[in-house]
Amino acid sequence: MSNNVSVNVKEKKANPFVSLGNKIASFFKNLPSTLNKKLAGAKEIVTQGNGKVCASMCIMGLGQLMYKQWAKGIIYLLCQVAFLAYFVLKGASDFIGFFTLGTTESNAWVGIEGDNSVIMMLMGLLSIVAIIFYIVIYIANIKDCYSIQCSVDTLKEPKPFKKEVGALLNQKFYKTALALPIVGVCVFSILPIVFMIIIAFTNYGGDIVPPKLIDWVGLDNFARILTLGQFAPTFFKIFGWNILWAVLSTAINYFAGLALALLLNKKIVKGKTLWRMFPILAYAVPGFITLLAFKYMFSYGGPINQMITEAGGTAIGFLDIDAGWTAKLIGLFANAWLNIPSSMLLATGILSNMNTDLYEAARVDGASPFKQFVKITLPYVLFATMPVLISQFISNFNNFGIFYFLRGAMYMDGYFLASDSDLLINWLYNMSINNNYYSIGAAISIIIFIITSVISLSVYVLSPSYKSEETYQ
Amino acid sequence: MKKKKLFKPQKLFNIAITYLIILAVCFVFLFPILWLVLASFSKTGSIYSFKGFFPTEYSFDSFVRLFTDTQMYNYPKWFANTLFISIMSAFIGTALTILTAYCMSRFRFKSRKAMMKTTLVLGMFPSFMTMTAVYLMMTQFNLINQQWGLILIYSAGAPMGYLTQKGFFDTIPSSIDEAARIDGASNFKIFLKITLPLAAPMIVYTLLSSFVWPWSDFILPQLLLKNKDLWTVAVGLMTLPTDEFSRFAAGAVFIAVPIVIFYFALSKFLISGLSAGAVKQ
Repeated sequence: MSNNVSVNVKEKKANPFVSLGNKIASFFKNLPSTLNKKLAGAKEIVTQGNGKVCASMCIMGLGQLMYKQWAKGIIYLLCQVAFLAYFVLKGASDFIGFFTLGTTESNAWVGIEGDNSVIMMLMGLLSIVAIIFYIVIYIANIKDCYSIQCSVDTLKEPKPFKKEVGALLNQKFYKTALALPIVGVCVFSILPIVFMIIIAFTNYGGDIVPPKLIDWVGLDNFARILTLGQFAPTFFKIFGWNILWAVLSTAINYFAGLALALLLNKKIVKGKTLWRMFPILAYAVPGFITLLAFKYMFSYGGPINQMITEAGGTAIGFLDIDAGWTAKLIGLFANAWLNIPSSMLLATGILSNMNTDLYEAARVDGASPFKQFVKITLPYVLFATMPVLISQFISNFNNFGIFYFLRGAMYMDGYFLASDSDLLINWLYNMSINNNYYSIGAAISIIIFIITSVISLSVYVLSPSYKSEETYQ
Repeated sequence: MKKKKLFKPQKLFNIAITYLIILAVCFVFLFPILWLVLASFSKTGSIYSFKGFFPTEYSFDSFVRLFTDTQMYNYPKWFANTLFISIMSAFIGTALTILTAYCMSRFRFKSRKAMMKTTLVLGMFPSFMTMTAVYLMMTQFNLINQQWGLILIYSAGAPMGYLTQKGFFDTIPSSIDEAARIDGASNFKIFLKITLPLAAPMIVYTLLSSFVWPWSDFILPQLLLKNKDLWTVAVGLMTLPTDEFSRFAAGAVFIAVPIVIFYFALSKFLISGLSAGAVKQ
């Protein structure tokens, strides 16, 4: 039974949340046995290991040297020396600095060069990474020494060093090849996320930027956003509009794309490739160009207002600060224009994979085209595209470009550094990049992430793709 | 089944309605683009001189001014910056992506599943969400106002989208590898001499698609390049005022054309790439 479930999970490859959830669940389920296994392995090394393994435990590489594995022993020894040198000279103080975030404030009058809390935060983070890295090498060193002992005990020659290096281009080529991508992703994708999470728990931002000292404040930033007069009303107003925007724009883009795909799929339509070229053309033009074009189109001097004035009307500020719903509707329209082509392409691909026997049967039974759509096409397409639909929802929820280009940073009365069409992500930008509210911005980022993951996870769990997996298999 | 007559009135009506809707939709998609293209050929330049949607007189002036009148708006410089950043990111990013996809497709190692899931979860963080942290980090690393800072971010982020390429490598039969291995080739050699040549179309696709991202991105350059001479086209075009509308249109047309050609040439790949992560099989 449990085996069966895990097979199904594998097939639902496209949704990270479900696999993550399952992973967490199985992690906790398997935790005791994994721990036991690890402990047993450690116990084996401790009890069975001879003096040379103990030597490696005390000084890295010593055991390998005693086994006459010179190159490996020296490399491990050098690692140990390098780490100790780093830790004594810099690492230890960096590590402590991560928790204190600086103690002496700079004072230009007295000539004290104070601590820079942001640099200390980053360096402290790096020292933690270095410590983890050292522990990994240390364990590898002991395991390596023990494996040498095992092969010597069974009267085999331990592997020569040359062969082990050669393996890095052969059996273990993946280690060599993946090293660079992994470092890149760690530094430029994971480190910013960690750094952002850390900042959310400090008071960095506003007046408190280096040379002033920054401090840990726990959950204060979150409490301020959700309760304090300055942030809370703006947050909830923007949040409401953001949800509405994400639902509306996702639904519009999705169903219009599906409708367009069905329309072009009709048997009576000739020259399908030609017709499809128009949406693809719209898809190919970079989004910022289209958005700026729409901004010009609806501006005061733009063609629409020109026609209005020529007809004797007065120009309308479609995107003005007090435009209200017109600006929001223009945003929805521009977003639809940008995203319908891709959902059309997706729906076309899925429809072409669809089994047409069902329609034949439905026609024999006398089902109307509308009924065929509701009972056959829609469930199938929804089922197949649920993961994409969720990721579209998330990207719409965090759609920065639309209102940034159409309206720019406008600050409205009743909003704190935002306007009525801004989404949370725009607010975040206004706060942290334009106005230095770094810690509040970081806290908003975390809140956005929690909201999007909770919504998409619950949508997925309630969806037909999750409830009945075998329907179309 | 019913017999179909060729010109049944009901069917004729159906055809007419269908084509009417299709024409309307195509018009909606074409119109803003047509508007921009025609505006780029307008003679006067300011949006205020247009009669309705379209300019009254046409000429190549905007394009000429775009490249010669560089005092205020140095388009050639922006264009060169964009080209440099995009090409460097495309090459580095493609190398990293192909390596990642190859390893994920051909090797089974202990942390493989965990890594695949981690990349999926990391993909859930909109890259934009961490911009505060990226901005601060880049300030600390001294990579503000450095084109290499952008190139690093673009190319380091590229391997996260390795799934399409992995799917391609999965389709290359592993019996070829086996044969080479029996002849004594190492995995590194197999990758260089056999897999890479076979994957040439995929490499081209990856090169072009990782070229397009920096080419049309505005968020990162806007965030990290403060110096006007370092700007990319996207940032530069954003700063043009309303009376420079035809300059904007000309600049936009100039950078959109290569991408449009690329999309049409590769539209087949595009569709499979779009549905690669989506279709359940």
